[in-house]
Amino acid sequence: MSQAPAGEPTRGAGNRIVLRGVATTWGELDTLDLPPAAAVLVEDNLQAARAVWTHATSDRETLVTSRTRVTPDLGADLRAEGLALVSGDLSQVEPATLERDAQPGRIWLLTSGSTGRPKRVAHTLDSLTTVGGDQPARTWLCPYAHGAYAWWQVVTLGLTVPGQDVVFIEPDELDTWPRMALDAGVTAASGTPTFWRQALYRDPEAVAALPLEQVTLGGEPVDQAILDRLIELFPKARVSWIYASSEAGASIAVHDGKAGFPEAWLDRDTPGRPRLSIVDGELVIASPKRGEGIDEHLRTGDRVEVVDGRVLITGRLASDEINVGGSKASASQVRDVLQSHPAVAWASVKGRKAPIVGNIVTAEIVTTEPVSDDELSAWARERLPEYAVPRRLRFLDAIPIKETLKSDV
Amino acid sequence: MSALSRDQIRTMMAEVLAAQGKEMPAEDTANLEELGFRSLDFSELALRVEDETGEELNFDAPGLRQIQTVADVLDFLEQLQAA
Repeated sequence: MSQAPAGEPTRGAGNRIVLRGVATTWGELDTLDLPPAAAVLVEDNLQAARAVWTHATSDRETLVTSRTRVTPDLGADLRAEGLALVSGDLSQVEPATLERDAQPGRIWLLTSGSTGRPKRVAHTLDSLTTVGGDQPARTWLCPYAHGAYAWWQVVTLGLTVPGQDVVFIEPDELDTWPRMALDAGVTAASGTPTFWRQALYRDPEAVAALPLEQVTLGGEPVDQAILDRLIELFPKARVSWIYASSEAGASIAVHDGKAGFPEAWLDRDTPGRPRLSIVDGELVIASPKRGEGIDEHLRTGDRVEVVDGRVLITGRLASDEINVGGSKASASQVRDVLQSHPAVAWASVKGRKAPIVGNIVTAEIVTTEPVSDDELSAWARERLPEYAVPRRLRFLDAIPIKETLKSDV
Repeated sequence: MSALSRDQIRTMMAEVLAAQGKEMPAEDTANLEELGFRSLDFSELALRVEDETGEELNFDAPGLRQIQTVADVLDFLEQLQAA
Protein backbone atom coordinates (compact mmCIF):
# COMPACT_ATOMS: atom_id res chain seq x y z
CA MET A 1 0.00 0.00 0.00
CA SER A 2 1.16 3.50 -0.70
CA GLN A 3 1.00 6.45 1.60
CA ALA A 4 -0.66 9.55 0.22
CA PRO A 5 1.47 12.63 0.68
CA ALA A 6 -0.24 15.62 2.19
CA GLY A 7 -1.48 18.07 -0.39
CA GLU A 8 -4.39 19.12 -2.55
CA PRO A 9 -4.25 16.43 -5.26
CA THR A 10 -4.97 13.62 -2.81
CA ARG A 11 -7.39 15.18 -0.32
CA GLY A 12 -9.93 12.58 -1.43
CA ALA A 13 -7.58 9.64 -0.69
CA GLY A 14 -10.14 8.21 1.72
CA ASN A 15 -13.02 8.47 -0.75
CA ARG A 16 -14.59 5.21 -1.78
CA ILE A 17 -14.14 3.94 -5.32
CA VAL A 18 -16.02 0.94 -6.71
CA LEU A 19 -14.39 -1.07 -9.48
CA ARG A 20 -16.31 -4.00 -11.03
CA GLY A 21 -18.46 -4.07 -7.92
CA VAL A 22 -15.49 -4.15 -5.51
CA ALA A 23 -15.15 -1.21 -3.13
CA THR A 24 -11.84 0.27 -2.04
CA THR A 25 -10.38 3.76 -1.59
CA TRP A 26 -7.86 5.70 -3.61
CA GLY A 27 -5.38 5.46 -0.76
CA GLU A 28 -5.63 1.68 -0.65
CA LEU A 29 -4.67 1.23 -4.31
CA ASP A 30 -1.28 -0.25 -5.07
CA THR A 31 0.93 2.10 -6.99
CA LEU A 32 2.54 1.02 -10.25
CA ASP A 33 6.20 0.81 -11.12
CA LEU A 34 6.07 3.07 -14.16
CA PRO A 35 8.73 4.78 -16.26
CA PRO A 36 8.88 8.51 -15.43
CA ALA A 37 7.06 9.39 -18.66
CA ALA A 38 4.50 6.74 -19.56
CA ALA A 39 1.42 6.16 -21.67
CA VAL A 40 -0.57 3.64 -19.68
CA LEU A 41 -2.80 1.55 -21.95
CA VAL A 42 -5.40 0.16 -19.61
CA GLU A 43 -7.80 -2.75 -19.82
CA ASP A 44 -10.17 -1.51 -17.13
CA ASN A 45 -10.80 1.18 -14.53
CA LEU A 46 -8.80 -0.64 -11.84
CA GLN A 47 -5.65 -0.27 -13.95
CA ALA A 48 -6.64 3.29 -14.81
CA ALA A 49 -7.25 4.23 -11.17
CA ARG A 50 -3.90 2.75 -10.14
CA ALA A 51 -2.19 4.80 -12.86
CA VAL A 52 -3.93 7.94 -11.61
CA TRP A 53 -3.02 7.24 -7.99
CA THR A 54 0.58 6.56 -9.00
CA HIS A 55 0.64 9.87 -10.86
CA ALA A 56 -0.95 11.79 -7.99
CA THR A 57 1.53 10.48 -5.43
CA SER A 58 4.80 10.90 -7.32
CA ASP A 59 6.50 13.24 -9.77
CA ARG A 60 5.86 11.90 -13.25
CA GLU A 61 4.32 12.41 -16.67
CA THR A 62 1.32 10.27 -17.57
CA LEU A 63 -1.15 9.51 -20.31
CA VAL A 64 -4.02 7.15 -19.45
CA THR A 65 -6.14 5.65 -22.19
CA SER A 66 -7.95 2.48 -23.16
CA ARG A 67 -5.67 -0.04 -24.82
CA THR A 68 -8.18 -0.34 -27.65
CA ARG A 69 -7.70 3.31 -28.61
CA VAL A 70 -4.00 3.00 -29.36
CA THR A 71 -3.31 1.79 -32.87
CA PRO A 72 0.24 0.77 -33.85
CA ASP A 73 0.69 4.15 -35.58
CA LEU A 74 -0.47 6.10 -32.55
CA GLY A 75 1.69 3.94 -30.27
CA ALA A 76 4.72 4.72 -32.43
CA ASP A 77 3.90 8.43 -32.29
CA LEU A 78 3.65 8.38 -28.50
CA ARG A 79 6.98 6.59 -28.18
CA ALA A 80 8.56 9.09 -30.57
CA GLU A 81 7.27 11.86 -28.33
CA GLY A 82 9.10 10.40 -25.33
CA LEU A 83 6.43 8.27 -23.68
CA ALA A 84 7.04 4.62 -22.85
CA LEU A 85 4.05 2.38 -23.60
CA VAL A 86 2.90 0.37 -20.62
CA SER A 87 0.30 -2.34 -21.26
CA GLY A 88 -0.92 -5.85 -20.45
CA ASP A 89 -0.78 -6.33 -16.68
CA LEU A 90 1.06 -2.98 -16.64
CA SER A 91 4.45 -4.61 -16.31
CA GLN A 92 5.01 -4.77 -20.09
CA VAL A 93 6.99 -1.72 -21.16
CA GLU A 94 7.92 -0.61 -24.67
CA PRO A 95 10.48 2.14 -24.13
CA ALA A 96 10.21 5.56 -25.70
CA THR A 97 12.16 6.05 -28.91
CA LEU A 98 12.93 9.65 -27.93
CA GLU A 99 15.09 10.13 -24.86
CA ARG A 100 14.09 13.16 -22.85
CA ASP A 101 13.43 14.21 -19.27
CA ALA A 102 9.93 13.64 -17.95
CA GLN A 103 7.79 16.71 -17.21
CA PRO A 104 6.68 16.18 -13.60
CA GLY A 105 2.94 16.66 -13.16
CA ARG A 106 2.15 16.61 -16.86
CA ILE A 107 -0.98 14.67 -17.87
CA TRP A 108 -1.69 14.04 -21.54
CA LEU A 109 -5.17 13.53 -22.92
CA LEU A 110 -6.08 12.23 -26.34
CA THR A 111 -8.71 14.17 -28.26
CA SER A 112 -11.67 12.20 -29.53
CA GLY A 113 -9.99 11.92 -32.93
CA SER A 114 -13.27 12.22 -34.81
CA THR A 115 -11.43 14.06 -37.57
CA GLY A 116 -8.35 11.86 -37.78
CA ARG A 117 -5.65 10.51 -35.48
CA PRO A 118 -6.14 11.73 -31.89
CA LYS A 119 -4.14 14.80 -30.88
CA ARG A 120 -2.41 15.10 -27.53
CA VAL A 121 -3.56 17.87 -25.20
CA ALA A 122 -1.43 18.88 -22.21
CA HIS A 123 -3.00 19.19 -18.78
CA THR A 124 -2.15 18.78 -15.10
CA LEU A 125 -4.22 17.44 -12.22
CA ASP A 126 -4.90 21.08 -11.35
CA SER A 127 -6.15 22.06 -14.80
CA LEU A 128 -8.34 18.95 -14.91
CA THR A 129 -9.85 19.71 -11.51
CA THR A 130 -12.87 21.85 -12.25
CA VAL A 131 -14.97 21.33 -9.12
CA GLY A 132 -13.74 22.41 -5.71
CA GLY A 133 -14.89 23.96 -2.47
CA ASP A 134 -17.59 22.49 -0.26
CA GLN A 135 -19.67 19.95 -2.09
CA PRO A 136 -22.53 17.83 -0.75
CA ALA A 137 -21.37 14.24 -0.19
CA ARG A 138 -22.20 12.17 -3.26
CA THR A 139 -21.53 8.87 -4.94
CA TRP A 140 -20.84 9.50 -8.62
CA LEU A 141 -21.31 7.16 -11.52
CA CYS A 142 -18.40 7.30 -13.99
CA PRO A 143 -19.31 5.53 -17.23
CA TYR A 144 -16.86 7.44 -19.43
CA ALA A 145 -14.03 5.97 -21.47
CA HIS A 146 -10.77 5.58 -19.55
CA GLY A 147 -8.71 8.75 -19.76
CA ALA A 148 -11.28 10.88 -21.60
CA TYR A 149 -11.72 14.48 -20.43
CA ALA A 150 -15.12 13.73 -18.85
CA TRP A 151 -13.59 10.67 -17.12
CA TRP A 152 -10.85 12.88 -15.67
CA GLN A 153 -13.43 15.37 -14.41
CA VAL A 154 -15.14 12.68 -12.32
CA VAL A 155 -11.78 11.21 -11.28
CA THR A 156 -10.33 14.53 -10.10
CA LEU A 157 -13.52 15.26 -8.19
CA GLY A 158 -13.15 11.95 -6.37
CA LEU A 159 -9.43 12.40 -5.88
CA THR A 160 -9.48 15.94 -4.54
CA VAL A 161 -12.80 16.57 -2.78
CA PRO A 162 -13.57 14.61 0.41
CA GLY A 163 -17.00 12.99 0.36
CA GLN A 164 -17.07 12.36 -3.40
CA ASP A 165 -17.14 8.61 -4.02
CA VAL A 166 -16.95 7.16 -7.54
CA VAL A 167 -18.52 4.04 -9.01
CA PHE A 168 -16.75 3.16 -12.24
CA ILE A 169 -18.59 1.44 -15.07
CA GLU A 170 -16.71 -0.56 -17.68
CA PRO A 171 -17.77 -0.52 -21.36
CA ASP A 172 -19.02 -4.11 -20.98
CA GLU A 173 -21.18 -3.07 -18.01
CA LEU A 174 -23.16 -0.40 -19.87
CA ASP A 175 -26.15 -2.72 -20.26
CA THR A 176 -26.46 -3.38 -16.55
CA TRP A 177 -25.24 -0.19 -14.93
CA PRO A 178 -28.55 0.97 -13.34
CA ARG A 179 -28.72 -2.08 -11.07
CA MET A 180 -25.02 -1.84 -10.23
CA ALA A 181 -25.47 1.85 -9.45
CA LEU A 182 -28.41 1.09 -7.17
CA ASP A 183 -26.39 -1.53 -5.29
CA ALA A 184 -23.45 0.87 -4.89
CA GLY A 185 -25.62 3.76 -3.66
CA VAL A 186 -25.03 6.10 -6.60
CA THR A 187 -26.63 9.51 -6.04
CA ALA A 188 -25.09 11.45 -8.94
CA ALA A 189 -24.60 10.37 -12.53
CA SER A 190 -22.97 11.97 -15.53
CA GLY A 191 -23.30 10.79 -19.12
CA THR A 192 -23.84 11.82 -22.71
CA PRO A 193 -27.38 12.32 -24.04
CA THR A 194 -26.89 9.06 -25.97
CA PHE A 195 -25.92 7.29 -22.73
CA TRP A 196 -29.11 8.50 -21.04
CA ARG A 197 -31.29 7.73 -24.06
CA GLN A 198 -29.92 4.22 -24.26
CA ALA A 199 -30.46 3.59 -20.55
CA LEU A 200 -34.02 4.92 -20.66
CA TYR A 201 -34.77 2.89 -23.75
CA ARG A 202 -33.35 -0.32 -22.33
CA ASP A 203 -34.58 -0.27 -18.73
CA PRO A 204 -36.44 2.89 -17.69
CA GLU A 205 -37.74 1.35 -14.45
CA ALA A 206 -34.23 0.49 -13.24
CA VAL A 207 -33.04 4.03 -14.06
CA ALA A 208 -36.06 5.63 -12.35
CA ALA A 209 -35.37 3.59 -9.20
CA LEU A 210 -32.04 5.37 -8.64
CA PRO A 211 -32.09 7.97 -5.83
CA LEU A 212 -30.32 10.56 -7.97
CA GLU A 213 -29.72 14.04 -6.57
CA GLN A 214 -27.61 15.18 -9.51
CA VAL A 215 -28.01 14.26 -13.18
CA THR A 216 -25.43 15.63 -15.59
CA LEU A 217 -25.27 15.55 -19.38
CA GLY A 218 -22.35 16.45 -21.61
CA GLY A 219 -20.17 15.39 -24.50
CA GLU A 220 -22.84 15.88 -27.17
CA PRO A 221 -25.40 18.55 -28.01
CA VAL A 222 -28.07 18.45 -25.30
CA ASP A 223 -31.63 18.86 -26.54
CA GLN A 224 -34.72 19.85 -24.60
CA ALA A 225 -36.45 16.48 -25.10
CA ILE A 226 -33.86 14.52 -23.09
CA LEU A 227 -33.68 17.22 -20.40
CA ASP A 228 -37.47 17.13 -20.02
CA ARG A 229 -37.47 13.35 -19.77
CA LEU A 230 -34.83 13.34 -17.03
CA ILE A 231 -36.48 16.16 -15.09
CA GLU A 232 -39.76 14.24 -15.22
CA LEU A 233 -38.02 11.08 -14.02
CA PHE A 234 -36.01 12.78 -11.28
CA PRO A 235 -38.11 15.74 -10.10
CA LYS A 236 -36.00 16.26 -6.97
CA ALA A 237 -32.62 16.09 -8.72
CA ARG A 238 -30.62 18.96 -10.12
CA VAL A 239 -30.40 18.30 -13.86
CA SER A 240 -27.38 20.00 -15.42
CA TRP A 241 -25.62 20.03 -18.71
CA ILE A 242 -21.97 20.79 -19.18
CA TYR A 243 -19.89 21.87 -22.13
CA ALA A 244 -16.35 20.60 -21.81
CA SER A 245 -13.58 19.22 -23.98
CA SER A 246 -9.94 18.31 -23.53
CA GLU A 247 -8.95 21.38 -25.51
CA ALA A 248 -11.40 24.01 -24.21
CA GLY A 249 -11.59 22.64 -20.67
CA ALA A 250 -14.83 22.72 -18.71
CA SER A 251 -16.44 25.91 -19.91
CA ILE A 252 -20.20 25.98 -19.49
CA ALA A 253 -22.43 24.53 -16.77
CA VAL A 254 -26.18 25.09 -16.95
CA HIS A 255 -28.53 24.08 -14.16
CA ASP A 256 -31.91 25.59 -15.11
CA GLY A 257 -33.19 22.52 -16.96
CA LYS A 258 -33.20 24.26 -20.32
CA ALA A 259 -31.23 23.46 -23.46
CA GLY A 260 -28.62 26.04 -24.39
CA PHE A 261 -27.33 28.82 -22.15
CA PRO A 262 -28.57 32.40 -21.60
CA GLU A 263 -27.58 34.84 -24.33
CA ALA A 264 -26.52 37.24 -21.56
CA TRP A 265 -23.52 34.99 -20.86
CA LEU A 266 -22.00 35.92 -24.22
CA ASP A 267 -19.05 38.31 -24.34
CA ARG A 268 -18.99 38.61 -20.55
CA ASP A 269 -15.69 38.97 -18.70
CA THR A 270 -15.68 37.36 -15.26
CA PRO A 271 -12.34 36.65 -13.54
CA GLY A 272 -11.58 32.93 -13.44
CA ARG A 273 -14.50 32.09 -15.74
CA PRO A 274 -14.41 31.33 -19.46
CA ARG A 275 -15.36 34.00 -21.96
CA LEU A 276 -17.93 32.78 -24.47
CA SER A 277 -18.56 34.33 -27.85
CA ILE A 278 -19.91 33.52 -31.30
CA VAL A 279 -17.89 34.11 -34.46
CA ASP A 280 -19.55 33.25 -37.79
CA GLY A 281 -21.99 30.90 -36.10
CA GLU A 282 -19.20 29.07 -34.25
CA LEU A 283 -18.76 28.91 -30.47
CA VAL A 284 -15.49 30.52 -29.38
CA ILE A 285 -14.23 29.93 -25.83
CA ALA A 286 -11.42 31.54 -23.86
CA SER A 287 -11.12 29.34 -20.77
CA PRO A 288 -8.61 29.41 -17.91
CA LYS A 289 -9.00 25.61 -17.76
CA ARG A 290 -7.99 25.02 -21.40
CA GLY A 291 -5.20 22.66 -22.31
CA GLU A 292 -1.69 24.10 -22.49
CA GLY A 293 -0.72 25.43 -25.89
CA ILE A 294 -4.35 25.72 -26.94
CA ASP A 295 -5.38 29.03 -28.53
CA GLU A 296 -6.66 31.42 -25.89
CA HIS A 297 -9.72 32.11 -28.01
CA LEU A 298 -10.45 28.58 -29.15
CA ARG A 299 -12.68 28.08 -32.17
CA THR A 300 -14.51 25.01 -30.97
CA GLY A 301 -15.89 23.77 -34.30
CA ASP A 302 -19.32 23.68 -32.68
CA ARG A 303 -22.23 25.36 -34.42
CA VAL A 304 -24.43 27.63 -32.31
CA GLU A 305 -27.60 29.59 -32.88
CA VAL A 306 -29.48 32.06 -30.69
CA VAL A 307 -33.17 31.26 -30.25
CA ASP A 308 -35.43 33.18 -27.86
CA GLY A 309 -32.58 34.43 -25.71
CA ARG A 310 -30.83 31.03 -25.46
CA VAL A 311 -27.62 30.07 -27.20
CA LEU A 312 -28.13 26.54 -28.52
CA ILE A 313 -25.14 24.34 -29.38
CA THR A 314 -26.49 22.30 -32.24
CA GLY A 315 -23.65 20.15 -33.53
CA ARG A 316 -20.31 20.08 -35.29
CA LEU A 317 -19.89 22.66 -38.03
CA ALA A 318 -18.05 20.19 -40.21
CA SER A 319 -20.79 17.58 -40.20
CA ASP A 320 -23.98 19.46 -39.43
CA GLU A 321 -24.70 20.99 -42.80
CA ILE A 322 -26.28 18.86 -45.52
CA ASN A 323 -26.40 20.50 -48.92
CA VAL A 324 -29.63 19.43 -50.61
CA GLY A 325 -29.72 20.92 -54.08
CA GLY A 326 -28.22 24.19 -52.81
CA SER A 327 -30.44 24.42 -49.73
CA LYS A 328 -28.70 23.91 -46.37
CA ALA A 329 -30.35 21.42 -44.03
CA SER A 330 -29.09 21.20 -40.45
CA ALA A 331 -28.62 17.59 -39.35
CA SER A 332 -28.95 18.57 -35.68
CA GLN A 333 -32.19 20.46 -36.29
CA VAL A 334 -33.67 17.47 -38.12
CA ARG A 335 -32.46 15.14 -35.36
CA ASP A 336 -34.09 17.33 -32.69
CA VAL A 337 -37.39 17.35 -34.59
CA LEU A 338 -37.37 13.55 -34.87
CA GLN A 339 -36.38 13.13 -31.24
CA SER A 340 -39.24 15.37 -30.15
CA HIS A 341 -41.72 12.78 -31.48
CA PRO A 342 -43.15 10.93 -28.46
CA ALA A 343 -42.34 7.49 -29.87
CA VAL A 344 -38.74 8.25 -30.88
CA ALA A 345 -36.08 7.23 -28.37
CA TRP A 346 -33.10 8.22 -30.50
CA ALA A 347 -32.30 9.51 -33.98
CA SER A 348 -29.19 10.09 -36.05
CA VAL A 349 -29.31 12.21 -39.19
CA LYS A 350 -26.88 12.23 -42.08
CA GLY A 351 -26.67 13.30 -45.69
CA ARG A 352 -26.57 10.62 -48.36
CA LYS A 353 -25.19 11.09 -51.84
CA ALA A 354 -28.05 11.29 -54.33
CA PRO A 355 -28.55 12.16 -58.00
CA ILE A 356 -29.61 15.63 -59.15
CA VAL A 357 -29.75 17.26 -55.69
CA GLY A 358 -26.31 16.04 -54.53
CA ASN A 359 -27.46 14.82 -51.12
CA ILE A 360 -30.70 13.95 -49.43
CA VAL A 361 -31.39 13.81 -45.72
CA THR A 362 -31.59 10.34 -44.21
CA ALA A 363 -32.17 9.20 -40.65
CA GLU A 364 -31.69 6.19 -38.44
CA ILE A 365 -34.31 5.84 -35.74
CA VAL A 366 -34.98 3.82 -32.61
CA THR A 367 -38.57 3.94 -31.35
CA THR A 368 -40.17 2.92 -28.08
CA GLU A 369 -43.35 1.76 -29.83
CA PRO A 370 -44.30 0.94 -33.41
CA VAL A 371 -44.60 4.03 -35.57
CA SER A 372 -44.86 4.13 -39.34
CA ASP A 373 -42.51 5.68 -41.81
CA ASP A 374 -45.40 7.84 -43.05
CA GLU A 375 -46.24 9.15 -39.59
CA LEU A 376 -42.67 10.22 -38.88
CA SER A 377 -42.37 11.80 -42.32
CA ALA A 378 -45.58 13.75 -41.70
CA TRP A 379 -44.25 14.85 -38.27
CA ALA A 380 -41.06 16.10 -39.93
CA ARG A 381 -42.92 17.79 -42.82
CA GLU A 382 -44.99 19.83 -40.37
CA ARG A 383 -41.86 21.16 -38.69
CA LEU A 384 -39.13 21.37 -41.33
CA PRO A 385 -38.63 22.84 -44.78
CA GLU A 386 -39.24 20.29 -47.52
CA TYR A 387 -35.57 19.80 -48.39
CA ALA A 388 -34.77 18.93 -44.74
CA VAL A 389 -37.42 16.22 -44.36
CA PRO A 390 -35.65 12.84 -44.20
CA ARG A 391 -36.38 10.91 -47.36
CA ARG A 392 -35.04 7.59 -46.14
CA LEU A 393 -35.73 6.33 -42.63
CA ARG A 394 -34.04 3.25 -41.25
CA PHE A 395 -35.36 1.69 -38.07
CA LEU A 396 -32.77 0.12 -35.76
CA ASP A 397 -33.39 -2.41 -32.97
CA ALA A 398 -31.12 -0.71 -30.43
CA ILE A 399 -29.39 2.62 -29.86
CA PRO A 400 -25.82 2.34 -31.18
CA ILE A 401 -23.25 3.64 -28.76
CA LYS A 402 -19.48 3.85 -28.90
CA GLU A 403 -17.00 3.59 -26.06
CA THR A 404 -17.05 7.39 -25.98
CA LEU A 405 -20.77 7.11 -25.06
CA LYS A 406 -21.50 9.14 -28.16
CA SER A 407 -23.59 8.06 -31.10
CA ASP A 408 -21.48 9.43 -33.95
CA VAL A 409 -21.15 5.94 -35.39
CA MET B 1 -29.50 -8.96 -56.35
CA SER B 2 -31.07 -8.69 -59.79
CA ALA B 3 -32.25 -5.47 -61.39
CA LEU B 4 -35.75 -4.26 -60.69
CA SER B 5 -38.41 -4.53 -63.36
CA ARG B 6 -40.15 -1.50 -64.79
CA ASP B 7 -43.28 -2.46 -62.86
CA GLN B 8 -41.36 -2.66 -59.59
CA ILE B 9 -39.87 0.79 -60.16
CA ARG B 10 -43.34 2.06 -61.02
CA THR B 11 -44.66 0.72 -57.70
CA MET B 12 -41.85 2.46 -55.85
CA MET B 13 -42.58 5.72 -57.65
CA ALA B 14 -46.21 5.37 -56.55
CA GLU B 15 -44.97 4.94 -52.95
CA VAL B 16 -42.89 8.12 -53.14
CA LEU B 17 -45.92 10.01 -54.42
CA ALA B 18 -48.29 8.41 -51.90
CA ALA B 19 -46.07 9.52 -49.00
CA GLN B 20 -46.92 13.07 -50.07
CA GLY B 21 -50.61 12.43 -50.58
CA LYS B 22 -50.27 12.31 -54.37
CA GLU B 23 -51.55 9.65 -56.73
CA MET B 24 -49.63 7.78 -59.39
CA PRO B 25 -51.25 8.44 -62.77
CA ALA B 26 -52.40 5.55 -64.95
CA GLU B 27 -50.63 6.94 -68.02
CA ASP B 28 -46.84 6.96 -68.30
CA THR B 29 -47.09 10.03 -70.48
CA ALA B 30 -48.14 12.10 -67.45
CA ASN B 31 -46.04 15.23 -66.99
CA LEU B 32 -43.89 15.26 -63.84
CA GLU B 33 -44.33 18.96 -63.21
CA GLU B 34 -48.10 18.66 -63.27
CA LEU B 35 -47.83 15.61 -61.06
CA GLY B 36 -45.68 17.45 -58.52
CA PHE B 37 -42.85 14.93 -58.83
CA ARG B 38 -39.74 17.02 -58.28
CA SER B 39 -35.96 16.59 -58.10
CA LEU B 40 -36.05 15.52 -54.47
CA ASP B 41 -38.65 12.89 -55.28
CA PHE B 42 -36.56 11.56 -58.15
CA SER B 43 -33.53 11.40 -55.86
CA GLU B 44 -35.52 9.51 -53.25
CA LEU B 45 -36.77 7.06 -55.85
CA ALA B 46 -33.22 6.44 -57.07
CA LEU B 47 -32.07 5.67 -53.52
CA ARG B 48 -35.03 3.35 -53.01
CA VAL B 49 -33.90 1.46 -56.10
CA GLU B 50 -30.34 1.32 -54.75
CA ASP B 51 -31.52 0.04 -51.38
CA GLU B 52 -33.69 -2.62 -52.99
CA THR B 53 -31.03 -3.89 -55.37
CA GLY B 54 -28.14 -3.38 -52.96
CA GLU B 55 -26.15 -1.74 -55.74
CA GLU B 56 -25.13 1.84 -56.24
CA LEU B 57 -26.40 3.40 -59.44
CA ASN B 58 -23.81 5.04 -61.62
CA PHE B 59 -25.39 8.31 -62.61
CA ASP B 60 -22.48 9.33 -64.76
CA ALA B 61 -22.87 6.39 -67.11
CA PRO B 62 -25.71 7.34 -69.44
CA GLY B 63 -25.46 11.09 -68.93
CA LEU B 64 -28.31 13.02 -67.46
CA ARG B 65 -30.97 14.05 -69.90
CA GLN B 66 -34.33 15.71 -69.99
CA ILE B 67 -36.77 13.91 -67.73
CA GLN B 68 -40.27 15.22 -68.19
CA THR B 69 -42.69 12.31 -67.93
CA VAL B 70 -43.28 9.22 -65.83
CA ALA B 71 -41.99 7.15 -68.75
CA ASP B 72 -38.74 9.18 -68.75
CA VAL B 73 -38.19 8.34 -65.07
CA LEU B 74 -38.82 4.63 -65.60
CA ASP B 75 -36.66 4.52 -68.75
CA PHE B 76 -33.82 6.31 -67.03
CA LEU B 77 -33.76 4.12 -63.94
CA GLU B 78 -34.01 0.98 -66.05
CA GLN B 79 -31.10 2.19 -68.12
CA LEU B 80 -29.05 3.07 -65.03
CA GLN B 81 -29.44 -0.42 -63.63
CA ALA B 82 -28.13 -1.89 -66.86
CA ALA B 83 -25.15 0.49 -66.96
